[in-house]
Amino acid sequence: MGLAKGSPRTGFYICHCGTNIADTVDVDAVRRHAEELPGVVVSCDYKYMCSDPGQELIIQDIKEHRLERVVVAACSPLLHEATFRGAVERGGLNPFLFHMVNIREQDAWVHEDRAQATRKARDLIRAAIRRVAYHRPLERMRVGVNPNTLIIGGGIAGINAALNLSMAGKRVYLVEREPTIGGHMAKYDKTFPTLDCAACILTPKMSAVRDSRNIVLWTYSEVEKIDGYIGNFRVQVRRKPRYVDEETCVGCMQCVDACIYKDARFPSEFELGLKKRKPVYMPFPQAVPPVVAIDPKTCLHFKTGKCKEPCKEACARDSIRFDQREVVEEIEVGQIIVATGFQTFDPARLPQYGYGEFPNVYTSLEIERLVNASGPTGGQVLLRNGQVPQSVGILHCVGSRDENTNRWCSTVCCMTALKLAHLVKEHTGATVYSFYIDMRCTGKGYEEFYDRMMREGVQFVRGRVGEVRDWEMAPEEEGKLVLRVEDTLAGFVRRIPVDLVILAVGMEPRADAEAVQRMLHISRSNDGFFLERHPKLAPVETTTDGVYLAGCCQGPKDIPSAVAQGSAAAAHVLAMISKGHIELEPNTVAVLDDCSGCKTCIPLCPYHALTLNEESKKAQVNLALCKGCGTCAAACPSGSITQNLFEDEQIDAEIEETLAHV
Amino acid sequence: MTAEKSSDAQAADDEPEFNVADLDLGFAEEVAAKPGGEYIRRCYSCGMCVAGCPVAEVEPRYSPRRLIRMILLGLRAEVLQSDFLWLCCNCYTCMERCPQAIRIPDIIRAAKNIAAAEGRLPANLKTVSASVTKIGRLYEIEEFDNKKRVKAGLPELQTKLEDVERLMRK
Repeated sequence: MGLAKGSPRTGFYICHCGTNIADTVDVDAVRRHAEELPGVVVSCDYKYMCSDPGQELIIQDIKEHRLERVVVAACSPLLHEATFRGAVERGGLNPFLFHMVNIREQDAWVHEDRAQATRKARDLIRAAIRRVAYHRPLERMRVGVNPNTLIIGGGIAGINAALNLSMAGKRVYLVEREPTIGGHMAKYDKTFPTLDCAACILTPKMSAVRDSRNIVLWTYSEVEKIDGYIGNFRVQVRRKPRYVDEETCVGCMQCVDACIYKDARFPSEFELGLKKRKPVYMPFPQAVPPVVAIDPKTCLHFKTGKCKEPCKEACARDSIRFDQREVVEEIEVGQIIVATGFQTFDPARLPQYGYGEFPNVYTSLEIERLVNASGPTGGQVLLRNGQVPQSVGILHCVGSRDENTNRWCSTVCCMTALKLAHLVKEHTGATVYSFYIDMRCTGKGYEEFYDRMMREGVQFVRGRVGEVRDWEMAPEEEGKLVLRVEDTLAGFVRRIPVDLVILAVGMEPRADAEAVQRMLHISRSNDGFFLERHPKLAPVETTTDGVYLAGCCQGPKDIPSAVAQGSAAAAHVLAMISKGHIELEPNTVAVLDDCSGCKTCIPLCPYHALTLNEESKKAQVNLALCKGCGTCAAACPSGSITQNLFEDEQIDAEIEETLAHV
Repeated sequence: MTAEKSSDAQAADDEPEFNVADLDLGFAEEVAAKPGGEYIRRCYSCGMCVAGCPVAEVEPRYSPRRLIRMILLGLRAEVLQSDFLWLCCNCYTCMERCPQAIRIPDIIRAAKNIAAAEGRLPANLKTVSASVTKIGRLYEIEEFDNKKRVKAGLPELQTKLEDVERLMRK
């Protein structure tokens, strides 16, 4: 193979990367080798090519030496390809007439023999200089960004993201599955470590969502389908009928009072079954929207068709709509924030703790409701028989740090357990035991709160409770729940009788996380939570452009972190809206005319970028969706798909030159 | 337990006293190399094994967690001399519940095997093992037992198992 038109004028630059490369690769030898290669008019080395003076070298040389191609041998293109393309562009050359060679991660860092590593660098740069000759100027495609945003999930993370966007005057569709927004935080009593009331700080934000003219709030609704790509998503939202007109209902509760069922007799979802509700109900007094809902599974009208419908009669605003039907709304948005939250671990999976077996074994979330003044007991922590507990055991790490259930630390349960220890002690005066493995209080003011609990006299026992039983082996154990635990610090087994057991349950991904993952084409980590693009430097973005994560759907976190991530996601969205368009990398594929329409490529594309053009009967590619992975190009049986920057002659030249001296 | 034991060993069970210079830092590796012993380093010492252990219920000084810590620490002689090593009843409750999925009975068995290989078998186990090697049973079946079996409608058992000794030799 040879270049018919003669080798283009090429500039070659090799980076020392301090000593990272120069220690293992003889940089000067490689530079001299490049000098001799056809077409190379400039060959130079520099301590840090990525620095401003380094980039300036390239810019100057392009002008002075009329360079037509540039090759940089340095670190991974993942780090600095964009940097050098930028420099090439500033020098006045098309940024794709450039190639980068990784002689750090793929050479200097993985070899010890200096001579061999230098030879490898020579082979690699020769291949690159030969390859770059075949590069063609490419243009980045520009696509407009729809300024509307979809937020899935109305917990504190979603609420905060929505309010941030609304403040900037941007339209938000906030979709929540439950009849009210608020998520888990609405169920909490106090928040650690400051012990301010969760409702007092959350409900103003919920009301702000309701009052915002920029936020379209769809509760009792689920996102069903998402098509498209960053800047231009098409979304279908299924709005379940609540049999109440949201526009006119003001939540006066007349219908609830009038319901044919005189007593509330169905378990309230919001109160975790600890309280009963009627078929027509308001989840909790500060619900947003402040609109009742009718549950067709329990409403007599739907069950028998023979209800006198006193609710309808009682409603002065004629808001009860038994004929309401499900509606599917279609919207267009530019970006999506996923804030679907978590679910708490079901402790019935650990039979040794007796949840569901002993009535006085509660989860931490249930206790949040019991200590809450508007909860089922009006804020009293009571045993099921109505008595006040004298002693309470709180078990940490239930469904966390456990190979048999969930391996991860749920990060907030230690603090939740400490907070509940305080609240339960305050409400009942009981002796409170806290059974922990390691006390993890890592937020601002958290360790101080732990210290405060020690001073308040919470009995801390370092040991994981083995079992909760009701077998009495001593008079003081009579009628009690007995916790068997090794006090690992004292070194002996204790039997501790208590009246009430609280299981500090961990956080886990929602049961339908996989369905959401598929719908959005995002990934999940081993633990099942949604995967961020980078664990440190891109903790909000996902592998799908235009889709961001906020809150516990990405991993267990406390309220401040969920709020921060919600704002971070909103900032990403705003940045894109401000820019107004997206630039797509041109390393996309093109379908050639000799495509036979065999459709082999279509199901293989991980980004759903390929479809069959019904008219021409040939495959067609949506360039906005194509990520340039090359799967289709490799699979095409007739070789009718080519990919920019990976064209056959470019790759052939590279391979040939790499192996030229073998 | 009726194992012959030194007064030192008794002391080890009650109040472990050790000199840092005497620690055998390879002991954990030695145990980890045995089947089932490989996860020993995952122990985060939560005490779940002890809290469900039926032996610990009757012998408060018995602690599988402590044995694991002693192995990890390199208290080789103390572990191998300890009576507690032989108390595990193999109920597997600890393994079922261990949050770190450590095969605790296997670790204890590995330590037992190392002790046995060094001739540190308790006396009663020596008797039992001699009996199994010789006659293939934990105890001898006599005419008296067979009479009782026949009376209960059960088939007689062989009183002498000559093949066992030959098999055991191989």
